[in-house]
Amino acid sequence: MKILLIEDQLELSENITEFLSSVGVFCETCDNCFDAQDKILVNSYDSVVLDIMLPDGSGLNLIDLIKKNQANSNILIISAKNSLGDKIEGLELGADDYLTKPFHLAELHARLKALYRRNQLGGSDVLTFNEIQVNPENLQASINQTLLDLTKKEFDLLLFFMTNKDRVLGRQAIVQHLWGDYTDDLANFDFVYQHIKNLRKKICRAGARDYIETVYGIGYKFNTSAEK
Amino acid sequence: MKLINQFTIWYLGISIIVFLIGGILIFYKMESEIDFEQGQELERQLDRYARKMETLENPGSLQKDRLEITELPADQAMVRFHISDTLAWHEPLEQVERQVKAGKSYLVNGRHFYMSTYNIMIESDDITETVVQTMVAIFLMLLVFIVVTSRLVSKRILQPFHQSLDKIRTFNFKDNQPLVFESTRTEEFEKLHDFLNKMSVRLLSDYKIVKEFSENLSHEIQTPIAVASGKLELLLNSPIDKQQANWIGAAYRANEKMTKIVNSLATLAKLENQEFEGTQSINFSSLVTDCLHEYEELMGMKKITVHQRIKPSVKIDMHAHMAEMLVDNLLNNAIKHNTSPGQICLELNNKVLKISNKGARPTGNVTEYLKRFKKGNPSSESIGLGLSIIQQICRIHGYTLEYTFINEEHQITIQLQN
Repeated sequence: MKILLIEDQLELSENITEFLSSVGVFCETCDNCFDAQDKILVNSYDSVVLDIMLPDGSGLNLIDLIKKNQANSNILIISAKNSLGDKIEGLELGADDYLTKPFHLAELHARLKALYRRNQLGGSDVLTFNEIQVNPENLQASINQTLLDLTKKEFDLLLFFMTNKDRVLGRQAIVQHLWGDYTDDLANFDFVYQHIKNLRKKICRAGARDYIETVYGIGYKFNTSAEK
Repeated sequence: MKLINQFTIWYLGISIIVFLIGGILIFYKMESEIDFEQGQELERQLDRYARKMETLENPGSLQKDRLEITELPADQAMVRFHISDTLAWHEPLEQVERQVKAGKSYLVNGRHFYMSTYNIMIESDDITETVVQTMVAIFLMLLVFIVVTSRLVSKRILQPFHQSLDKIRTFNFKDNQPLVFESTRTEEFEKLHDFLNKMSVRLLSDYKIVKEFSENLSHEIQTPIAVASGKLELLLNSPIDKQQANWIGAAYRANEKMTKIVNSLATLAKLENQEFEGTQSINFSSLVTDCLHEYEELMGMKKITVHQRIKPSVKIDMHAHMAEMLVDNLLNNAIKHNTSPGQICLELNNKVLKISNKGARPTGNVTEYLKRFKKGNPSSESIGLGLSIIQQICRIHGYTLEYTFINEEHQITIQLQN
């Protein structure tokens, strides 16, 4: 998977590149509209991550160009402006998703993967890891071909873990992923704990290894090297 | 008390004092004037008698009721006209009265006569009565005049003042217009207008600075927070020991909290600046029901049961996003501060939205929680801005919000009709 990151904040851009390359996403970066146009015209990307406020103009102006030249590409807007207007405008212009800064890198990754599955793979992608199979299209997960009875949240959680394997996922990142932006005041981590507990129970009961481990004080991690 | 009434009372008070002093002065002046006139009258009478005596054979025979005539030796010194008070029997009144007595000696046909006469004095009681009556009459006239005219005049004089009041009342930060007043002839009002004008200009500029500051802050701070949070996320996934993980975890949590505070403050600033424009008629009932549905899972986990009495198709006029925030924050609060197992009672009709939940007894006055960053449990993860947001939304729409703690229940009541 190859993406173009248009972001003028160098540090932020580095963070994203670092994280995404560590999970196997190839990342090209540029920090202004002018350079971005060059890259969009020449190369092809699976996704374009676009900041709205760029030194030489609004990222929203690039959406049209991306749509014309990158037929297969998804557009994900990242913006510090928590404004509903911008969000609506961006999505109306043809962006596929919108993420408000500050966001969790794992969340960005999950969103990019979701877009990728939906648009490039036609949603037919099934994530498999050892005995676990997750099918985002019909929201079904199974262990050794046995269907798991998961709630919507538990399924989302499993998918989030599967997308970010071997990454520490902060509880807040999980809260944001499951409940979205508007409930960001709902800081009750008990809920996360409960969901994770139930999910682990269901996975283990179906005969899989207990991959999800607690990282004390921070969150959880899908540990691929978990022992039996 | 109205200014004009105060003026009137003061004016009348001063008038009473002036009338009292004036009355006393008039009393003495009148009394002495009357005495003087009476004396003169008596002297004229005596003169008349003396002239009459010249024509008489026996001057002494003129003596009558009030006239005493005494013949003095011719060589005795002439007695000059003099007046004295005396008490004498007054026939018509049949009592002893204070009388004025005048005496003078005359040379009549070479003989020396001393004549004296007296007359009843005008009583000081009568003078007092007259003076008091007159004064009271004048005072009453003054009273009526002042009360009537002052009202008419004050309406005219204070008109610019009332106009200014109306202007101040409609002053609004959003319009960004300083107060400008029409010029008046009253110096005091001119001073006031000048002061208010300067103050409003100052207020607007201060307001603008604060507004810009909070806007810039909430916007500019996002990027550094995002950078920090990204670095921490990267750090978390690098090889670290447990102690380091704890430190990073703490920094990470602090960073998250900062994000939430900034976001909530930005939302509050937006609400205060009334940036949400475009109210629409919203089916509040279905919004509340949808929101409840979204939280079902969370409530299930906390073993919270919901008792709802939602009247269908309750409509309110509000910005869609604001309505969502309102309901979301209310439910959020009710869940967050609930007991486990607990319960939430939700009631909605055309007049009122009432939500109550079991919860810990508040340590202080519950209305304190409506203030920013005030929360019941200082150590809780909550940042304490949820209620402020709810209150601000209510304020914008003129709804009254009431927060009480009764029967171990936190209850928020919002009157939807203003």
